[in-house]
Amino acid sequence: MSVETETPMETAATPNSGADIHPAAQPFLFLTRDKVRRNFLWLPLVGLIICSVLGVFHPQKHPLPYEQYIPGSWAIFGFLVFCGVGLCATTFAHFLARPESYYGEGGLPDPEDSLEASEAKGDAT
Amino acid sequence: MALLNYFPDWLLVHGPGFLMALPLLMAAVTALLPNKRIGWISTFIVTAILTVTAFGIALYNIEVGTFIYKMGGWAPPHGISLYIDALNAPLVLLVALMAFITVIYALPATIAEIKPNKRAPFYAAFLLCIAGLLGMVVTGDAFNVFVFLEVSSISTYTLVAMGAARDRRALSAAYNYLILGSIGATFFVIGIGFLYMETGTLNMADMARILADLDGGSRVAKVAFGFIIIGLGLKLAMFPLHTWLPGAYAHSPTPVTAFLASTATKAALYLLLRFTFFVFDPSFAYVADVLMFVLVGLGVIGMLFASLTAIFQTDVRRMLAFSSVAQVGYMLLGIGIATTASVAAGYLHILNHAIIKGGLFLALGAMWYRFGITRMEDFRGLGKTMPLTMGAFTISGLSLIGVPFTAGFVSKINLAGAAADAGWWWAVGVIMLTSILALVYIGRLLLIAYFQSPPEVDGAVVKRNEAPLAMLIPIWTLAILSIVIGIESDLIVEASVRAAELLLGAG
Amino acid sequence: MIDAIPLLAEINPGFWVILAGLICALLPIGSLRKAFVIAVPLIAGVLIFQLHDPTQAARLGGVLQFGPVELTTFRLDSLSLIWAYLFCLAGIINGIYGLHEKCRITDSSALIYTGAAISGVLAGDMITLFIMWELTAISSVFLIWKGGEQAYAAGIRYLAIQVLSGVMLLTGAILHAQANGGDFTFGAIGLDSPGGWLMLLAMGIKCGFPMLHMWMQDAYPKASITGTVILASFTTKFAIYALARGFAGEGILIWVGAIMAIFPIAFAIVENDLRRILSYSINSQLGFMVAGIGVGSAMALNGVAGHVFVNVLAKGLLFMSVGAVMHRVGTAKASELGGLFRSMPFSTGFALVGAMTLAATPLFAGFITKAFILTAVIEEHHYVPFVLLLLGAAGMVGFAEIKVPYSAFFGRDSGRRVKEAPWNMHLAMGIAAFICVYLAWPFGGYAQLYALMPFEMKYAYKPYTVDHVAFQLQLLFGVLFAFNLFLRWKRYRAPQRAEVLDVDWLYRRMGLNVSLWASAMWTRLSAVTRQQRNRFLGTAGRKFYQTFSPAGAASEATPSGLAAVLTAGLLFIVLMVAYIAR
Repeated sequence: MSVETETPMETAATPNSGADIHPAAQPFLFLTRDKVRRNFLWLPLVGLIICSVLGVFHPQKHPLPYEQYIPGSWAIFGFLVFCGVGLCATTFAHFLARPESYYGEGGLPDPEDSLEASEAKGDAT
Repeated sequence: MALLNYFPDWLLVHGPGFLMALPLLMAAVTALLPNKRIGWISTFIVTAILTVTAFGIALYNIEVGTFIYKMGGWAPPHGISLYIDALNAPLVLLVALMAFITVIYALPATIAEIKPNKRAPFYAAFLLCIAGLLGMVVTGDAFNVFVFLEVSSISTYTLVAMGAARDRRALSAAYNYLILGSIGATFFVIGIGFLYMETGTLNMADMARILADLDGGSRVAKVAFGFIIIGLGLKLAMFPLHTWLPGAYAHSPTPVTAFLASTATKAALYLLLRFTFFVFDPSFAYVADVLMFVLVGLGVIGMLFASLTAIFQTDVRRMLAFSSVAQVGYMLLGIGIATTASVAAGYLHILNHAIIKGGLFLALGAMWYRFGITRMEDFRGLGKTMPLTMGAFTISGLSLIGVPFTAGFVSKINLAGAAADAGWWWAVGVIMLTSILALVYIGRLLLIAYFQSPPEVDGAVVKRNEAPLAMLIPIWTLAILSIVIGIESDLIVEASVRAAELLLGAG
Repeated sequence: MIDAIPLLAEINPGFWVILAGLICALLPIGSLRKAFVIAVPLIAGVLIFQLHDPTQAARLGGVLQFGPVELTTFRLDSLSLIWAYLFCLAGIINGIYGLHEKCRITDSSALIYTGAAISGVLAGDMITLFIMWELTAISSVFLIWKGGEQAYAAGIRYLAIQVLSGVMLLTGAILHAQANGGDFTFGAIGLDSPGGWLMLLAMGIKCGFPMLHMWMQDAYPKASITGTVILASFTTKFAIYALARGFAGEGILIWVGAIMAIFPIAFAIVENDLRRILSYSINSQLGFMVAGIGVGSAMALNGVAGHVFVNVLAKGLLFMSVGAVMHRVGTAKASELGGLFRSMPFSTGFALVGAMTLAATPLFAGFITKAFILTAVIEEHHYVPFVLLLLGAAGMVGFAEIKVPYSAFFGRDSGRRVKEAPWNMHLAMGIAAFICVYLAWPFGGYAQLYALMPFEMKYAYKPYTVDHVAFQLQLLFGVLFAFNLFLRWKRYRAPQRAEVLDVDWLYRRMGLNVSLWASAMWTRLSAVTRQQRNRFLGTAGRKFYQTFSPAGAASEATPSGLAAVLTAGLLFIVLMVAYIAR
């Protein structure tokens, strides 16, 4: 189960091979495979663990107070910051996001075929 | 001083005597001259000589400082002596210069305004007036001051009355002036009499010395001071004793108006300075109190009241006359604060205002000469029909308001600075306020002149009709002078500071 | 070259760039203009190199005397040197990037803007600084207006705020100079006088202090494609220079910087427009610099200088890649993009280099400069600001540096198959990417960066120690892991179309509504009170007229009898005053 399979655009509308792919991008198409995307997760986890272990053996020259007792402190910090902020995203959006026509000055230009427009069309047919 | 070398020694040494004697003598001669043109020529030559002499004397004064000329070789206090010091030397030059400039202007103006058979007496009276003004400025004898004050006043009444050829109201204005001027002179001479009683001398330096010895003197000296202040107040149009002034300015012949506005009240202000700071002294309590409460109070009320009145006038000359009353208020304020800086600023305003008002009245006279303009609405389109005259009027008008780089700005900023230094912040506010009022009444004229189209006469728009050269030269001389003072003010500011230091001692 | 023409040493090299910009404004030949745009900053850079004398503390020139004010229009010392080089380099890169665009206004205003920024950092006195401060504002607003109709109002707002900042700078400068005996030299200013505070506020506007930052996010995303790239290079960095020169070591700046580093995160999460996200990212990075200036040690200031240098290139790289996308697709909205690496692989690569530089990944230049600032902050034991800065760094990695490339080039496939960017864009991005990597190369590369840094340090900071690399990677991996986890559990907020409110809401919405309300109220009030007002004014006017008009009491021709009585009365008053005098 992955995010990508959920979106209808992903596999159905545009195949991942063919002439319209830039030649230099061909070798990297493997990145779009479901399996790769789903398991990409493990790469940072492994890196995180390695670096945390390294950090235990090479402690920081200038740690924060009490930091030396927490192995992998910066990894935990980064993880928590992202989770904390990321979970607040909806709240922020509630307070900060308004429709694009809010100020009445006109939004920024859109391409002729806006995705949302075509999605709406797709739903209708 | 390199320039001083060009003046012969006898002129400098006898200059003070020469200054009063020459116009007195020539007045008599001019009155007898038959032809109107010769009258002008003799007046022109006399005023030219006077200007040169006054210039030489002013330079000589800077060179040697105060010097005394003994009439007939009799030494004071018994003989009559003439004083030239830092206080009156600039005023002598101012009176002579303004006379000279007015005389140039008078050539076309008198032809339009004075009947041919009255022109020689006109010039004679004019010369008498000059003699009187110069005399009362240079003399060191208190009674002589009265004599010359009367000489100038009586000739002035005549001159004002000569406006009757143009406007019959000149007669009533001259009569009014005569009555009040005589009251003023009487008050003054009564004051002199009391002072003589107190000190036993008529020489002003002696009086000063004796009064200082008596530490202000008895009640007699106080009464004398009161009479002298009121007498001079009438002469210098101190509010509310100014009632003679608007009529006299509005109805007299235009050269007379310009000359009176720039010299007569100024000479009286000089006498006020001379008596309050030189003969009497602000260290006497009654002098200080009168300065503080009467002169400043009346000066400030006059500034506001006369400025407001000027705003509502329809006759331009009356408007400028009320503006003069307001400007006298500035000078009285400067005198009343009684610090060296403020007296210097007041004195500076005396000189600058003479130049500004002279320029304005001359330009106004040229407008009357061409179009018969006296009322405000007649100014329509003057920017197009008389661009040069109107240009000079604009410059002098801006200077009156106190726009930077003009003479008016220099004296107003000095006065405001002096008031602020003395801690009189409310006075700074009043100066600002009256400058705004001046902006209103001058600005109103300028708007009409520049933004309304010229009137139509018989279906045709009035064409450009510039004043003659003999009028433009004096008008522009004064306008340029006020800009020159505004940009290069050091010389005149130094002169005024010297005058103030003479009166109050350095510092 | 310098010896042959001694005049060159007297004239601020930035002036030549401004001059070239003015010429460009009149030059109708496009190719010649492009040659100017690239060559003149290059020449200016060479000139600065020639003029710089490492043995000398500072080279002064172009001294002009205006009355009591002495202007030193040209001062080259170690602090201004790195900024001058940077601006020349940025000018060249921007010129290459905009090579495809045929627009006289953009060329000329870009050159004037670049020149003004160079002249500004090379200015030795506060008056020249002010002039260049305003010139950067005025010349750059055209770049915003080139963004199309919807950018017009934003440009006006930008101009108003920038000019306001300039006026505050000038007022502050005059006050400061007055307090220091008329000395207009631009050196350390400090916060002892109101002039100092005013100048700090002026610089604060220009470098985006919290609550004063909104002009940046308002205007930058609305400019033209090349315009945004150019804008992002100069204005704020110029302000950082001024701050570093004037207010180094002011403790309050540490806190200001720390708050500046974190608050943009909240906006960046919600934002849809990639260029606006990048503007928030700039703001956060500026926070690091401001905090570094607040610390004020040699190491911190070196870090600030280096961080500015790297940041201009890396942020430029991201702006350029987003610009390339916009050039081909027509929009920079995240909700409209995705999966573009299939058609724009090179741009993708450059964007990743930029993102990794900004994220301070080892082997990329940001790794070194950010470490400078963080180490300097913790060396001085500012623990709370340090945590805040680290929070800002982690947050911006997550929601700007990962979000931008992810939503443009990866993520769900938008299905758009476009051409790769033009060659000149690749060249410009390539140069910037190369420098970003080169300046961090562990074997000799970062020594070049050190050589540019303005101050001598007690010991050369070694960036590639095991602990530093390990902990920095921990942070990045931690964020990346959380990001993937979010994707996996569908907690990641997909970009949605929205207008994100910022402080500019205060005047774009609230201020507008308040003034509309007030005007409506005023109309009603005046309708209600018209009668009373008219009656009052009429009465007052009549009274005035009755008193002062020619027919009125004050100017009536007073009969001489009355005047004589008045005189007598006044005499009485004077005698009374004299009588009761002490």
